[in-house]
Parts: sequence; C-alpha cells; structure tokens
Amino acid sequence: MRAGNIERVKRKALREAVAENLDTIRGLPPRSLRPAHRTLRAFLRRAPLLIIPLMLAGFAYLTSSSVPAAATVKVPVQSLPSQPVQRASVVTPAPALLTDSLQTVSASAFPLSVRRVVLDAGHGGTDPGASSTSNVSEKDITLDIEQRLGTMLRKNGFEVVSTRGDDRLIPLRERAHLANSSKSDIFVSIHVNSIPQGNNHGVETYYLGPTNDPSLTQLAAKENLTSGYALADLRKLLDRVYADVRRDESQRLASVVQHQLFSGLRGVDPGLENWGVKRAPFIVLVATDMPAILAEVGCLSNEREAEMLRSSAYREQIAQALFHGINAYARANDAPQRKGT
Amino acid sequence: MSNESEILHVGIDLGTSRSAISASNGERFVVDSFVGWPADMVARKVLKRDVLIGHEAVANRTMLDLHRPLERGLLKEGSDKDVEAVRELLKHLLRLVGVSSNGKIDSSNVRAVVGVPAASLRTNKQYLRNSMKGIVDSLMIVSEPFAVAYGLNALLHTMIIDIGAGTTDFCVMKGRYPGEEDQRTLTNAGDSLDTQLLKLIEERYPQANVTIFMVREWKEKHSFVGEPPSRVLVTAPVKGVPTELDITNEMRAACETLVPPTIETMLDLLSRVEPEFQERVRNNVILSGGGGLIRNLSSTLEAALKQVGGGKVTHMRDPVFVGSDGGLALALDAPDEDWEKLTA
Repeated sequence: MRAGNIERVKRKALREAVAENLDTIRGLPPRSLRPAHRTLRAFLRRAPLLIIPLMLAGFAYLTSSSVPAAATVKVPVQSLPSQPVQRASVVTPAPALLTDSLQTVSASAFPLSVRRVVLDAGHGGTDPGASSTSNVSEKDITLDIEQRLGTMLRKNGFEVVSTRGDDRLIPLRERAHLANSSKSDIFVSIHVNSIPQGNNHGVETYYLGPTNDPSLTQLAAKENLTSGYALADLRKLLDRVYADVRRDESQRLASVVQHQLFSGLRGVDPGLENWGVKRAPFIVLVATDMPAILAEVGCLSNEREAEMLRSSAYREQIAQALFHGINAYARANDAPQRKGT
Repeated sequence: MSNESEILHVGIDLGTSRSAISASNGERFVVDSFVGWPADMVARKVLKRDVLIGHEAVANRTMLDLHRPLERGLLKEGSDKDVEAVRELLKHLLRLVGVSSNGKIDSSNVRAVVGVPAASLRTNKQYLRNSMKGIVDSLMIVSEPFAVAYGLNALLHTMIIDIGAGTTDFCVMKGRYPGEEDQRTLTNAGDSLDTQLLKLIEERYPQANVTIFMVREWKEKHSFVGEPPSRVLVTAPVKGVPTELDITNEMRAACETLVPPTIETMLDLLSRVEPEFQERVRNNVILSGGGGLIRNLSSTLEAALKQVGGGKVTHMRDPVFVGSDGGLALALDAPDEDWEKLTA
C-alpha cells in the first residue's frame, strides 16, 4: 500500500477509535447492539395510520374543490401489496385510495406487524446441550421442533429465518447477529431443560431480565457457554438493556407462548407442570434487537418426558403449541392497527 | 489547549501477565502485572515498603497480599483491592517513564492509549476508565490487536493473532477500526497453557514440588509445538532434593492445546473476509504476544492455511512492546482536539 494510502487509512481508523471511546464515555451501547433502525421501523409500522387519513382528507378536499385530477386514478384498493411493514413500498400505493370512499378501505390492506420470525434451535454440532440417560440430545430435539414450527409458520404466511438449519454449532453471538441483520420481528429460541435433582416435569418460557434466583443464573451460564462472554460481562451488559422498551413486548410474547405451550401440552401429558414466565440473562435474549424469548419446552432429565420427546407426535404437539403462541401474539399485535381504520 | 512541552504520550499494554509502557520521551519498560502489599507488620518491617510491584512482588510473594488485578485481560470487577492494584501498577509504569520524580503523578499532562482484549465489552472499558481517573489526564482505550496493527502499519488485509497470558485475540484489519464481527477473543492462552502444563507435570512426577511460577518460567524458555527442538530438562525439588525432570512431552501436549482453537478461529474469521481479499489476508497473518514465540507455531498455522489455499504467518521477534508501541503511535497521531474530548 502506498504511503499516502496508509496515512489515510490510519487517520480513518483513528477517527473511528476516538468515536468509539466517546460513545463509551457517553454510555452508549456498542454500535452493533444499537437499534438504529428501530425508530425507523416503528415509524414505518405506524406510517399508514398517519398517511392514509391525510390522503383521505386530501381527497375530500380535492373532490369538494372539483379538481378533476382526482378522478384519473383507477387502481382499486385491493391491489395494495401486503408486504412487510418495514419495506418503504408499503406506503407508496396511497394514490389508489383516492378513487374510493372511506367504506372501501379494508383492514387487510394494513400489513401485519409480525411477519418475519427467527427460530433458534438451541445448541448443535459439538455442543449437544442436555442429554437423557437414553441418549436423547437436546440439540436433536430442538432442531426437529424448530423445523416443524418453521413449516407451520410458513404455511400461515410468516417468513422464517433459522439460525441453524442442520446439526452444527453456531456461536450465540452469531445467532443474535443473524437475527438482527435479517430485520426480523420476533426471536424464539427453543431449548429443553435438564434438572437432575428431583422428578422435574414442566415447561417454562424466559424473556430478558434480571434474576436473583441462583438456579436461573446457573441455567443461563450453562446456556451461554458458547457465547464468548463471561457471565460477569453479561450482567453489566444487561444493566443497559433492562430499560429497553422491547422487554415489555418480550414479556407479552413469553406469556402468550407459555400459555399455549402449557395448555397445548397438558392435554397429551396431564402431569405436566406450568413453571411460568421467568426472566433470565440468556445471551441470545441480550444481543437481539427484537422481542425475544427462550422456551424450555420440556425436561430431558425426566425419563418419562425424555421418552415422550423421542416421539415425533409429541414434538409435533410442541411445535403446534409454539405456533399457536406466536400466531396469537402476531394477531394481538395487528389489532391496534386495524382499529385505526 | 495543552502546552506541548508538558505533554507526555504513552502507549500501555495492560496485560494479564505483563504490562508494557512506551512513552514519547523514548522510555520503554515492561513489568510483571503483580501488585502486593505487605501481609502484616513483620513483612512491612522486612520489606520496608508499602507496596511492591512486578518482579519484586513475585519474588517476595510469601510476605505479601499478592494481587494480579487483570483476569483474561480485563480488570477484575467487584474487588476494591484489585482496582487499587491496577492503579498502583499504572502509577508505577508512569513513574518508570519519568512522569514524576517524586512519585506524585501531577507534574505532566499524560495522554494514554491502553490496549484491552478484542472482545471487551463497553462496560469493561468504562470500568477501566473509571479506575484510571486521576492517574492520567486523557485516556483512549482500544482493542489490543488494533494497537498492534496500527503500530505495524498493518491496517489493511491483515490478520493479527495476539496470544497473551489471559486471552488470545484475533482481529482482521479491513482498513477501519475493527468492529465486533472482525474480532474474536479466546481464553485459551498463556495462563490456560500454564495450568495444563502444571497438571501434566504433577501427573507424571507426583513427588515433585512444582509451582505455577516455575511452570511459567519453563514455558517461556522452552515452549514448542510439533517436533521438539531438543529435550526439555528442568530442575525441581523432589522430596526436597533438586532433581532434573524431562518435561518434553508435557510441554508439547500443553502448548498444543492452543493449536486447535487458534486454527479454528483463524479459519473462521478468514472465511468471513470478502472472497477477493481472502488471499491477501492469508498471506498477512501476524502472530504477536508472548504466545507468538512458541516454537513451530507459525509453521503449524501455515500448514493449517494450506487447506484453504496457503498463506504466510509471521511472528514478531520482540512481541513485548509491539502493543505498547502501537498505543504510543495512536497517542501521538490523535489530534489535540480529540484528546481534549477524551479526558479521563
């Protein structure tokens, strides 16, 4: 490289190093964790609510003023593309509305707020996760359920992003990076518990938050093994995200999924316990930008349950329960926008 | 603006095992990252000092409350004593380069660049920044491999592998300040090698009385991977009698624990480089840090690169100051207006 180029590259890198230090001094989170696009996405999500009334008001004004240009637009409202809200094209067909009265504006014209879902099958590759005495590995169970759930979601119009489509180890940080770069709307991580003490048999769903429960800290440490972060680092990282607005959304998603998970599985497994919605510092929940949950869909240390988890019919039931949870959350999220019509 | 004549720029490689400082007045020093306080009144009387740092602290460790304030390249959190230890260490380094002759750090305007492991979180950096308040006037904290690359003018199409005591840092330089995606940190490094070596020696020679400090010294003299350059013979007391021990196989086995994770991470980072630049990066792999001196390691990494088209791994012959020199270069290049914003 020429001397001039070296100096230019050095100046640029130095400027960036200074900027990063200033961010630290100001207490800003790392750029990779900073949800720069969140405000824009939130705006785009709500943009139809602002733009459409404005266009309708404009139309009323134009027709009352007998401006002939309004009558030249003939595209019916049904031609509005039902694309994800984050795409700018959602708001561009607004002129179509000029031809129709208020009654013809259909709720279906408004895009779903949850369209793209990241599914994260826990563990994989050289990291088998929990194992039962009958050699059932968590990594295999989670991958199978993730694939079944993915199929159900796709059939119902969701886009699905998988963090691992096969049996390989993807570091947790990369899973979060994939989720963030795919601009997905929610993140669902699938895991299976293992609690050797006692005859534990239940399901639970986590979202990001502090916990004083040492057993949960231990569980998080176990699940975070392949993250590259130490738990002490993680606690510090958490301090910055506890106040994040997405925590409320994550809690709501966790509640709906846990409800469906328990009610869906209790029918086939009456002894199942509801361990509820909990907070814990799992790294995949920390580093993702969108509402994120981690579902522990069973307990491999319970031999009876491990046996059930070997059955494809039971795994299908789990996938269905998760699907119903995600779908219910998505539908509930759409409701406020539809009221706007 | 500060008066140029009063300003001292320093680059500091604050290491888990050793810390180095390079200053704009031409002084360079390295000390063991140990700080110790006399354990009791007797020790204080014998040592005639309130605090001992570096090699002196290690040599007199039996009489000291000894602290190694950095763990995996980061300042240990939650311990006031470790914060105090790192402050003492930094003051000592600054005194060595002549910040103040009377031991008080108040006569100069000190601008410091400190290198930390690549994957340090912002909170780790903030914690370090808080701990350095009052010791330096302005502070910039950078990723250690970035400081190395900056000092070597190797900011483009280069991979730095910095094997320290606490961490092994990887960084691909792409002509910009490295982001999270360009860097990795492993905790397989000098310390983990020491622990493994001690365990293997204890297994083979259960009667031998060996400490981690002895093991560290042996590693620094004899470390190798692959074919042994010669037999590794060391002396240690066995039932109180100095005895020669052959630790060739143990040394190789311990050193080779670093090889698989290093190769895996190197190849993984390479695979993420844009395809058209991969060959250039493969031919510009720089091995720095104390671990870079492990014999045959660079050729072992080169052999691993053959599976992806071949490449060249260069190790720094004098890795001790490569990080602090890079930090000093950064300190000197940063304009005054930036330093004024980076007040410690």
